[in-house]
Amino acid sequence: MSHPSEPIIQIENAHKRFHTLRGTVHALNGVSLNVRPGEVVVIVGPSGSGKSTLLRCINRLETLDGGSITVDGIPLKGARNINKVRAEVGMVFQQFNLFPDRTALGNIVLAQRVVRKRKKAEAIAKANELLAKVGIPEKADSYPAQLSGGQQQRVAIARALAMDPKIMLFDEPTSALDPEMIKEVLDVMLALAKEGMTMVVVSHEMGFARAAADRAVFMDGGIIVEEGTPDVLFSNPSHERTKLFLSKIL
Amino acid sequence: MDERTRTEQSEPIYLPPAGSDEGFTQPGLYERFINWLAGLPWWAIILGVVAVAVLYSMLTSEAYRRVIQSLTDNPQSSTEDLYNVVQIVGEPTMIVGRYAGETQDSVVTVVDELLDSVIETEQVTRTGFLLAEDPASITLRTDSGLVTIPKDRVVDEQREMVGDSEQITLTYIERVTVSGTMTKRTDKTMTIRTVDEVAQTFPTARILSRTAIPCDQVAASGCEEGEYVTIERQGEIITGTLNTLSNTNLSLSLPDGNTREIRRSDIDRFDVPTLTVALNARSATRSIVPGDEVRIAFVQGTDITQALDELETLDDVPVPLRYTDGQSRVVLIGYGTLDEALAATGAGEADALLYLDDGPDRRYIETWVEENPTGGVVLPTPPRECQKNCRVTVKLKDDVLTGRVAWEIEDEIRLVTTEAEYIELDRSKIVENRRMEPGACALNNLRGCNAGIFLTLRVTLQAYALALVFGLIFGLLRVQTNPVLYAVSTLYVEVVRGIPLLVILLYAGFVVSPQLRDNVGITLSDEQEAVLGLAFGYGAFIAEIFRAGIQSISRGQMEAARSLGMSYPQGMRYVVLPQAVRVVLPPLGNDFISMLKDSALISVLALPDLLQLGRLYVSRTFRAFEGYNTVAILYLLMTLFLSMVVRVIERRARLPR
Repeated sequence: MSHPSEPIIQIENAHKRFHTLRGTVHALNGVSLNVRPGEVVVIVGPSGSGKSTLLRCINRLETLDGGSITVDGIPLKGARNINKVRAEVGMVFQQFNLFPDRTALGNIVLAQRVVRKRKKAEAIAKANELLAKVGIPEKADSYPAQLSGGQQQRVAIARALAMDPKIMLFDEPTSALDPEMIKEVLDVMLALAKEGMTMVVVSHEMGFARAAADRAVFMDGGIIVEEGTPDVLFSNPSHERTKLFLSKIL
Repeated sequence: MDERTRTEQSEPIYLPPAGSDEGFTQPGLYERFINWLAGLPWWAIILGVVAVAVLYSMLTSEAYRRVIQSLTDNPQSSTEDLYNVVQIVGEPTMIVGRYAGETQDSVVTVVDELLDSVIETEQVTRTGFLLAEDPASITLRTDSGLVTIPKDRVVDEQREMVGDSEQITLTYIERVTVSGTMTKRTDKTMTIRTVDEVAQTFPTARILSRTAIPCDQVAASGCEEGEYVTIERQGEIITGTLNTLSNTNLSLSLPDGNTREIRRSDIDRFDVPTLTVALNARSATRSIVPGDEVRIAFVQGTDITQALDELETLDDVPVPLRYTDGQSRVVLIGYGTLDEALAATGAGEADALLYLDDGPDRRYIETWVEENPTGGVVLPTPPRECQKNCRVTVKLKDDVLTGRVAWEIEDEIRLVTTEAEYIELDRSKIVENRRMEPGACALNNLRGCNAGIFLTLRVTLQAYALALVFGLIFGLLRVQTNPVLYAVSTLYVEVVRGIPLLVILLYAGFVVSPQLRDNVGITLSDEQEAVLGLAFGYGAFIAEIFRAGIQSISRGQMEAARSLGMSYPQGMRYVVLPQAVRVVLPPLGNDFISMLKDSALISVLALPDLLQLGRLYVSRTFRAFEGYNTVAILYLLMTLFLSMVVRVIERRARLPR
């Protein structure tokens, strides 16, 4: 266990290359980033800038080609039981990735039973509690296909929270949603941030970033170009690339 | 997200199967039926299957057989009526046919091998004390109780006095067995055909002489004068192309494309074209140079062109004829008779004589040369008989037929040489009916098919369950990144997919099984061999289905599972496989039905499956039409039923939307 003031995520000089038919892509080109417990970090950047890759590396869904990532004091490289680390790091995907053959409740219960080995009643109670927390207690028995996108994403958040993670990673959680559903998801994330959850969010939602984030990071070309408080970064960026990017999305 | 996913539905709506582009049109009757079935609870489906089984067993019951019989009024419509009937003898047994006599242990009604074997009597010897005697019967007290024996059944009796009582040893006929096909059944009697009719149809032109048999010499009732005849028949004349000629046999290709083997002992006469080359004695030694004139004698009326062709096939053409291919001038001289031609050749009028004939004269020259050593004619090579590919005519030996004229039209006659024999039995006297089962598998006797149907279903179910295990294991290996596991599973899939299932089955039955027995000490039954072979062969296809199913599940599913802390096997087991199985249910069901059909191949391992039973019936009755129709219809019924079951399962597995 790390000391409260120590960073809970330490990324040092991370490198990641993808080998495709058309050549090698440097997705991460020496990224260093520390996240302290309870901190909310928002990562922005153009498509292909490596922000999603960075997030997936924190969860070791991708492995690094160079550098190191330490999560909760455990270096990910060669971590004997990566599954234990992952259980402490919840992840929410752009495409929700709910299990379509299980109900909302079943989605939240499954990993509790399999990974946390909780009793069935305990897991169901926890799932219901979380569904209430994300605002859709009445949808417990609905299948993902019967839910709207916003509802699905909230179930996905509840599913990740059910593991009692120390860190939550959000990979563009609202990008696949219709505009009218974005708010319901952001509200849940905002509430989570208020509770003091450590969060790393890849998102272009400026409103959320200003309201919840402690820090905003702008990435481009596999490196961190600029970082600072959201207000400073969004209103008064110092780099040309950041200015160009922000002028396009605002 | 489109409108559909947001609609809240209390009742699931079923969509047309994937791949159908009908969209949301009203489902058809069959679809609605399947939907209705899929909506039933599981116990209702089990009840339904039981009901089908009960219905089926009713259909194969005695009651159903009687209904069929009363509807058709033709007992022959059921293969069950291939009867062995055991009847007590001594009662009037009406035998239509010629009565031939009796031996000690059998009643021979017709001098015919078949009938000897279909009517058998059993004799019993009993010893006991005389209790009562009347003109019709004797009653004895034996160790096993009282026995009353009709006197007309007694074959032998010995009496001796033991003390006050008279002890009698009786030998009597207890029962007689009749085997045959039941042709008629009334309330009181049953008629069994023991011997089939044998008849021949042949052209009237072959009749050499014909003698009518007076009716008083014929045992059959209802004889009409002139109906029974003895015909002296000219042997058949067969013309065809010679295939082989051996010392015992002759094989001909007939103009209709068939091949016919004829024993030489049956042949009266056969004529093979024979080419004889005779030379003038002086010409035989004379050397002929190109440009010389060669005179060839032939008999007018014989085919000299073909003779010259045949000459070409000779291995060694005699010298004077060697340049008849155009380098020498050939003069053909025709003579009226063979004798004239021979004399002329001997006299030097011709250098050579070519003679091709398939008639009785074909070896005449050989004889002539032997008889006339001074005739001036020599044979450079013996006459050459055709061995292959020439037209020959065979005449079979004449024969004599006796029988009844069934019909006679302009140029054909049908003669029944062996009458069908019928035995009419009093049903009340029948003590036992033995139906010839199993094997009589036919639509009107489904009971005979039961064993085959059950074997087919049992083997299919076992093999499919095993194939699923093979398929799941190798399918999972096929999606691994480990090169060794991937290579092993790919090897299995590619090798097995490339070998015909029949070959795999033969391999399992005749290679693997004996090896296991001899080297490992495991003895597999025929059924287990079949199950293993089918499962191994189908495992490859099912592995591919599972691989495709697993790969069809988006990578995000596994990532989500891993991000929640599940290991790879846990993610596979709890997240990916349950979804993959839903995806692959239709192809799996397809393979199941396909395997049911392919299980017909196991008949090569001598297993009495449905097909084998059908073949048995066909081979015994020569009724291929009925036999194979039965098999086809039963397979069809099974696959239709199963495909319905499979669709219901698919429908139930479908997720609500």
